[in-house]
Amino acid sequence: MDTTADILFSRSAAQGDLKIKIIGVGGAGTNAVDGLKLDDLGDVRLAAINTDAQALNQSPLAEKLIIGRSVTRGLGAGGELEIGKAAAESDRDAIARLIGDMDLIILVVGLGGGTGSAAAQVVAELAAKTDALVLAFATLPFSFEGARRKRIAEESIGDLRQLVHGLIPLPNDVLLQEGEEDTSVLNAFAVADRWIGRGVNSLCAMLLKTGLINQDFSSLRSVFQDRGGKTIFGTGTATGGDYVKDALEDLFICPLLHLGDRPAQLDRILVNVIGGTDLGIAKVNEIMTQVAKRFGSREDIVFGAVIDESRSQSLELCILGKAEMDAVAAPAPEPAAKKTITTGLGLETEISQDNQFSKPVHRSKLSGKKKQPDVNQDEFTFIDNDAQRGYFEKTDRNEYNDEDLDVPTFMRRGIKIKIK
Amino acid sequence: MSQTRVVAAVEIGTSKIAVLLGEIVGDSELNIIGHSVGTSKGVKKGEITDLDKASDCVHATILKAEQNAQSRVDEVYLAQTGRHLIGNFNVGSSNVSSPDGVVRRVDMDAAKEDAKRRTLPRARTYIHHIQNPFSLDGRPVENPLSKEGRQLQVGYWSVHGDSEVVSDSLRVIRGIDLDVSDIIISSIASGAVLLEESEKENGALVIDMGGGTTDYVLYRKGYIVKTGVVPVGGDHITNDLSIGLRVARKSAEEFKLKNGRAYYQTEDRDEKVWLFGDLTIGDREYPLAAITKIIEARVFEVFDMIKEQLEVAKIFVPGDIASGVVLTGGSSRLAGMAEAAQRQFGLNARVSEGPSDVAEELRAPEYSTTLGLLHYALTGQEESQQPAKPSGILRKLTGLLNFD
Repeated sequence: MDTTADILFSRSAAQGDLKIKIIGVGGAGTNAVDGLKLDDLGDVRLAAINTDAQALNQSPLAEKLIIGRSVTRGLGAGGELEIGKAAAESDRDAIARLIGDMDLIILVVGLGGGTGSAAAQVVAELAAKTDALVLAFATLPFSFEGARRKRIAEESIGDLRQLVHGLIPLPNDVLLQEGEEDTSVLNAFAVADRWIGRGVNSLCAMLLKTGLINQDFSSLRSVFQDRGGKTIFGTGTATGGDYVKDALEDLFICPLLHLGDRPAQLDRILVNVIGGTDLGIAKVNEIMTQVAKRFGSREDIVFGAVIDESRSQSLELCILGKAEMDAVAAPAPEPAAKKTITTGLGLETEISQDNQFSKPVHRSKLSGKKKQPDVNQDEFTFIDNDAQRGYFEKTDRNEYNDEDLDVPTFMRRGIKIKIK
Repeated sequence: MSQTRVVAAVEIGTSKIAVLLGEIVGDSELNIIGHSVGTSKGVKKGEITDLDKASDCVHATILKAEQNAQSRVDEVYLAQTGRHLIGNFNVGSSNVSSPDGVVRRVDMDAAKEDAKRRTLPRARTYIHHIQNPFSLDGRPVENPLSKEGRQLQVGYWSVHGDSEVVSDSLRVIRGIDLDVSDIIISSIASGAVLLEESEKENGALVIDMGGGTTDYVLYRKGYIVKTGVVPVGGDHITNDLSIGLRVARKSAEEFKLKNGRAYYQTEDRDEKVWLFGDLTIGDREYPLAAITKIIEARVFEVFDMIKEQLEVAKIFVPGDIASGVVLTGGSSRLAGMAEAAQRQFGLNARVSEGPSDVAEELRAPEYSTTLGLLHYALTGQEESQQPAKPSGILRKLTGLLNFD
């Protein structure tokens, strides 16, 4: 692994022209992007798209786009999906210009409202027409926000998932578990933003910083070859004391990794470690061993480790992975090709794979979306409550008074469970 | 010479399959000659999701019971649960037809028919019509025959289910070439054997919380006035613990059995419990409060849903449920269930110890539904106050099966 790391080190240094853009869509998405504190990652571009001109004016971001002026006169979508849709449709060209020519696009959106839920699809669809790798962080509304928002969120996440390479659902009900005992509602919303921040930061750090084991863009791409499917995401942090052990423990109990028995079905995962100058190769090795033991064999795991000089005695772990929905849902053609990847660390093969996969990546552009076979439709009818249903994933929804009874009661009621 | 038939009472549960073999001699004598409980697969929330898996488990369990009894099964009585079961209260009426204003049997039959004539949408099948008391000109009468009056009314609690789901469970039994003589919903079966006649008379609520569903039946003045299924059971508690504590399902199940309690109390805050308790790597401590809070939220919710359903039907009248709540089913073993029920319903509550007139080993909550099935196999369903079978339900479903 060390030898490949050296190779990657040199490549990474020459990789300065990697173009990354983070786009917040809708009110919640814009807020989350506003709040991103990207520690000295320089070149990452931040942008926002919204229907609400006033809200957008308050955003400090450099690149801002008001959509649907002709539809909403700049007044927001008022929670109406149709208005959000019309607004985005009316400004497709402007959105396409904002997307531009990027290597990596990260969409950040809060689902359940009018603009985010509808416009994110249009943005994703246009992004899909470029060569960029498209990832999306999407928050799902709290149960207490009502059944309507939940329904909208579930509908749009299903569509969105088909358009991007990796979609990371962040159910607010679940994230609430991570806040302090008496988190207020306002803080509860901020919790989601913090999670997005950790994810985005870790991704960008991995791609842009140099370190012990560098991962470049093609390794990220290798994890997210195809559109659709399930993405898992989790983080763990710790400072001081036995920070390696604590951070691992924090990662292993990350609530987002415990929504069903998922880790066992993972195809391929990317693990990034951000540590201070005291993070030696021995510690990284320990982390790798533990993570591999937990989530699968070393061959299936792509590791990255970067040094952040401002840190000391502290560690941040981030895991990103992709799982096929299931045997039925995965369209048959490519699996043979997928299997040829044995490790994400060999540079040459990476590049050739990249080309090899440029085809499948473009396979499911939106124009083809409607023609997708029914199996794919099935796949997301139950999807996103999926995330919170665990064992009951494959069963019909258990609706009762607009709630899904298969989702744990404590989560629906916002009862915080302290397990530490 | 009296005829002997061997009846298998079969309950295809979410976590367990229970089979009881009863030998019925003539029309009055029942001997329980065999029993078996097997693990259930391919069933979630009381409904079959994988026909092959479920069939294999059911067949194995019936076979084991046959070996246990050294006898062959002649017919099957089958329990039915699942969220697809829906009940309605229908009132039928007839005008007293004789010139002297005295109720005749024909008037009673006319009122009964009127109550049962409500047609169902396609793909729904009646499973039970349960008669409630008659009333004559608005006054309740136990037996209206030969009494004077103008208008006769009778209420029925009618339960219907999804034809497909019911057919699936019939298919499982037919797969081993056995005939299903009758289908009875789980709550009615359990209630029949767990309550004394006096308790039915005083009013009681039987709650059968199993692995995938919670079935309940409310008796008032000796009559079944409501049944219901909440598609939540012990599996949900385990799943909640697994997600909430972020541990594997197996560990969650262990926590539930070992440390679980149906309600939370402040002292739980300071108590810690170990995941494995064997000092191995990965073992860690959890606050007991986390476990009991997760379970409490779920258990209270189930009880609240039942209470709400009774309130909506305007039959949650504590004075009419004087014998209180009787809990059964595998999940009734969870510590603190009676206290939790007492708190949420504001009624006396106890966990049933099983019917007293059967062998010790059959008093376990796993068998209460199947004992009830045998009870119906013996008594039939035609006596008053018992569920009446809509004629031709099995024939109709057989018809459905033949289309395959």
